[in-house]
Amino acid sequence: MSNPIVADDRLDLRGVKCPANSARALVRLESLDAGAVLEILLDDGEPIESVPPALADEGHVQLDRRRDGAGWRLLVRAGG
Amino acid sequence: MRTVYLDNAATTRPDPRVLDAVRAFADEGYGNPASTHAEGRATALALERARAVVAARLGAPADELVFTSGGTEANNLALFGVAWEHEARGRHLVTSVLEHASVLAPCAWLERHGWSVTRVPVDGEGFVDPDDVARSLRPDTVLVSIGHANAEIGTLQPVDDLAAACGARGVLFHSDACQSFTKAPLGGDRPLPDLVSLNAHKLHGPKGVGALRVRSGVRLQPLLHGGEQEGALRAGTPNTPGIVGFGKAVELADPIDNERVAALRDALLERILAGIPGALLNGPRQRRLCTNLNVSFPGCSGRALLAEMDRRGVRVSRGSACSSGSTRPSHVLTAIGRTPDQADGSLRLTLSRFTDAADLDAAFEALQQSVIAVRRAS
Repeated sequence: MSNPIVADDRLDLRGVKCPANSARALVRLESLDAGAVLEILLDDGEPIESVPPALADEGHVQLDRRRDGAGWRLLVRAGG
Repeated sequence: MRTVYLDNAATTRPDPRVLDAVRAFADEGYGNPASTHAEGRATALALERARAVVAARLGAPADELVFTSGGTEANNLALFGVAWEHEARGRHLVTSVLEHASVLAPCAWLERHGWSVTRVPVDGEGFVDPDDVARSLRPDTVLVSIGHANAEIGTLQPVDDLAAACGARGVLFHSDACQSFTKAPLGGDRPLPDLVSLNAHKLHGPKGVGALRVRSGVRLQPLLHGGEQEGALRAGTPNTPGIVGFGKAVELADPIDNERVAALRDALLERILAGIPGALLNGPRQRRLCTNLNVSFPGCSGRALLAEMDRRGVRVSRGSACSSGSTRPSHVLTAIGRTPDQADGSLRLTLSRFTDAADLDAAFEALQQSVIAVRRAS
């Protein structure tokens, strides 16, 4: 059984519309060391559809994605 | 003739690097940050980068910063936003007699509409006593608004103690930090005020942009309706080139400059007090904004002095820019106990990081000559 991933930082983007949610996530990831893990809370619908690809486009790696109540919880590793 | 600009409390000359950033972004970053296409996403990213820079310098989380059109809007949003949101809980506000017009005027408006406002006094150097504020709190008090640095005399209020006094009673605390942001620390290792007003043009940034820090959990009513921008607290497409310039101006604001400017200011003060008979410092020597000097020259008309200084190439002011055309004596100088003659004969000289020793040599010489000329004519 693999060890659970521990996030280094957390960003709650519930209620934040697109594309501000992607932008805030990118700015936070830019502030982290490469390899650090950011936990992101996101709304369902357009946010979960558009934020992960926007982060991947900038080299950040999604490690996990799971339902969290009505929204989503992502774990993303900051790219270099 | 050398021109010396010493009216930096009114506004500062934009740093050329800020103007470069604003121009470049106005040209290329024209997308609406609410649009989800590439231009919109790029603008949203620039907006959030600027938000992160400004918030980090203040010491607040980025998502607690609401961009506005400037400090006046930020102050109005704080006062009206809290008042309208919390009026079911109480209709009492506390402020000081020394505040900027963009705080005093909303308070007066609310007073005309059934609110009660307590204006605490200040001492002879312009300091508010936190005990006075604590004593003024009532069960129906919803907000205390006391600015960090006074715009006219530079007094730095004990904001930490004021925030603590309000926090202990569950009352929201707002501080207008437009004059002091990046020049004097706010909060330090203690919590920031719940609401903090900021602007860009006092720190070599562009005009037309400011921000209000709204602590997470504090609820406000917006002033502007018609869009969900800025967390639904400020409808309207943001001034993104201005916001980018705000972020750049904050990046460029180096605390080392504050010590150098304070030393220049102190040296000028000593020359004025030693070299111009009757000169009288307004405001404190310690716990004073590093850029601010305000001196009374009894027996002089401030208006005539200002004109003489202007003729000699030195730009100064008589008080807050928002009331500089007024013929009434400064409410700030009156509040600290200056006589009408002392208040009338006052000048505010405010420095910036672009001010150097040669500027102040020229300013002192012009001031000596101007005081002699005005006293001789009167």
